[in-house]
Amino acid sequence: MATKVHMEALSPTMEEGRLVKWTKHEGDAVKSGDTLAEVETDKAIMELVARADGQLIKVVVPEGSTVPVGNVVAWIGKPGEKVDGDGAVAPAAKSAPATPAKAPPAPQPTTAPTASIAPADATRVKASPLAKRIAREAGVDLKLVQGSGPGGRVIKRDVEGAPVAKTTAAAPAAVPRATPDVRRTGVPYEDVPLTQIRKTIAKRLAASIGPVPHFFLTTEIDMERAAEAREALNKQLDEEGGKISFNDIIIKAVALALVRHRACNAWFQEDHIRYWNEVHIGMAVAIEDGLITPVIRNADMKSLREIGAEARDLAGKARSRRLKPEEYTGSTFSVSNLGMFDIDQFTAVINPPEAGIVAIGTIMPKAVPDGDRVSVRKRLRVTMSCDHRVIDGATGAAFLKTLKQMLENPLAMLL
Amino acid sequence: MTEERTIEVIEAGVMPYADALDWQRQLAADRIARRLDHDVLLLLEHPPVVTLGRNSHAAHLLRPAGVAVFEVERGGDVTFHGPGQLVGYPILDLSAPPYKQDLHWYLRTLEHALIESLGILDIPAERNPGYTGVWTRGKKIASIGIHVKQWVTWHGFALNVVTDLTYFDRIVPCGIRGVEMTSILKEQGAGSREQLWDEAVSAVVNGFETAFGVSLIPCPEGPARRGHESLRTRAVAEPGLQPTD
Repeated sequence: MATKVHMEALSPTMEEGRLVKWTKHEGDAVKSGDTLAEVETDKAIMELVARADGQLIKVVVPEGSTVPVGNVVAWIGKPGEKVDGDGAVAPAAKSAPATPAKAPPAPQPTTAPTASIAPADATRVKASPLAKRIAREAGVDLKLVQGSGPGGRVIKRDVEGAPVAKTTAAAPAAVPRATPDVRRTGVPYEDVPLTQIRKTIAKRLAASIGPVPHFFLTTEIDMERAAEAREALNKQLDEEGGKISFNDIIIKAVALALVRHRACNAWFQEDHIRYWNEVHIGMAVAIEDGLITPVIRNADMKSLREIGAEARDLAGKARSRRLKPEEYTGSTFSVSNLGMFDIDQFTAVINPPEAGIVAIGTIMPKAVPDGDRVSVRKRLRVTMSCDHRVIDGATGAAFLKTLKQMLENPLAMLL
Repeated sequence: MTEERTIEVIEAGVMPYADALDWQRQLAADRIARRLDHDVLLLLEHPPVVTLGRNSHAAHLLRPAGVAVFEVERGGDVTFHGPGQLVGYPILDLSAPPYKQDLHWYLRTLEHALIESLGILDIPAERNPGYTGVWTRGKKIASIGIHVKQWVTWHGFALNVVTDLTYFDRIVPCGIRGVEMTSILKEQGAGSREQLWDEAVSAVVNGFETAFGVSLIPCPEGPARRGHESLRTRAVAEPGLQPTD
């Protein structure tokens, strides 16, 4: 039984090591304690040492490669011993050139090979029962076999002469049936380099959903009175210009609810939690190829009109990429609104180091019980994502309850 | 109850690089095999030599002619050793407290020890994140390159005490272009070579004790050769080793 040689950690935080030199080579006899290779980090070299006697039967990674800690780099075994199936690395790498490793060639509609070898109805192949059984056992795809029997029927000798096409090899033929919305340009795929913003999004959000223990709380809020208030306010504002959106009302309500629930207005830091005494609301804005979260500072102290004006200004700057760093950093809590996309409800990913974010769905009329009757009312589903390291279930629920009360009774915001 | 860890300090004077390399490899092998039951710090000086670490690039050796060149198993790029440079090779077993099985910890603690040592000599020194070694006022004063097998260390550091810094013109030290090297003599501005060397050795011993939290004890047989004696030999540098411009 061959023994695996793993990449070892040179320090507890090390995730990968660079194998700079093999000091033993395939076929060399090794004893436990012999140095097999040298691994480098920073200005330190560590020797990778054999932990078994035998022969170095397989070297899996070349010199100069960077290997995650714990990965197999070589095998020690008896001379002539084959690495078992678990050592997939070796056999897989060897067989790779034999299979179509690159993306399958683009289907050529004009030459369509399927037309010549497959019957018109590709899903139903005419074949004799014997041919079908042989095909099944041999792994031959009958759709790819030209029938020589009556009416193009596939018979035994057709199957026997057919190249064995295991399911994997047959896959390219199946590709054209996939993904209807892709435009067939003749090129099988397009690689788009990551833009800087997409890289940042990838890094930050992965840094969030991975290590941050998220949990989610959803509530449904009645928005009838908020809608009435908005209408009344906008009627009055018509003369002065400017308009209040639901988003402005929600940002204001979130900010005011945070004032009463400082436990949710916090940053998780490595060895402490920072509870903010100021409320700065990050507002996720979709921009071309990404999103950014400009900040409405001290949103709890601003009027709806101020919030509205600022939100529109920041969103405009965000879309034209003119935001200054101080305009998109330092938020203490965030709001992500997909209301305009007809989304009933969703969950948002926390923007670290913040401890929470609320995801705002679409305000839509819904039938709700109203005493003995059912009435149709404007309803909004709000989902809060909480970092459980900072916010516990009851803490988050209490905040959401306050938010719900404020939106259901906008006058409460004046309290 | 555990005994306090100690490091035996051996002042070996001037020793050709190849001999010192054999010696420290032997000491490390003994330490791994437990034939050597305690840690050792070799303090010595080399005749002029250029060494290439595992991460060396030929381009970083600007004028290879005239100086012996060794390719060795330590981490890092090209460096120079020569008279007036205090070279330290700690042979430490990192697998037991107070040490850690963590090469980054070891590199940083070596830097800490040298920074402490320079502090004793009133030279402000610091790390340069991303560039292992010790720096003072933007110049590099000590280099580090280490090797570990089964958590026993060898290779180590090189601290310029009264080094002829023009030797470094022949290489790109540690592969960092534009780096300027300095020495204790240059930073202090003045001082007798013998006195500076003795002060540097005792400062390094103290710095190690502070940074690693261990006691350093002199070799029972006494130093093989005193460092300052060796300094006289530096006048005999071969003509071919003189800087060419």
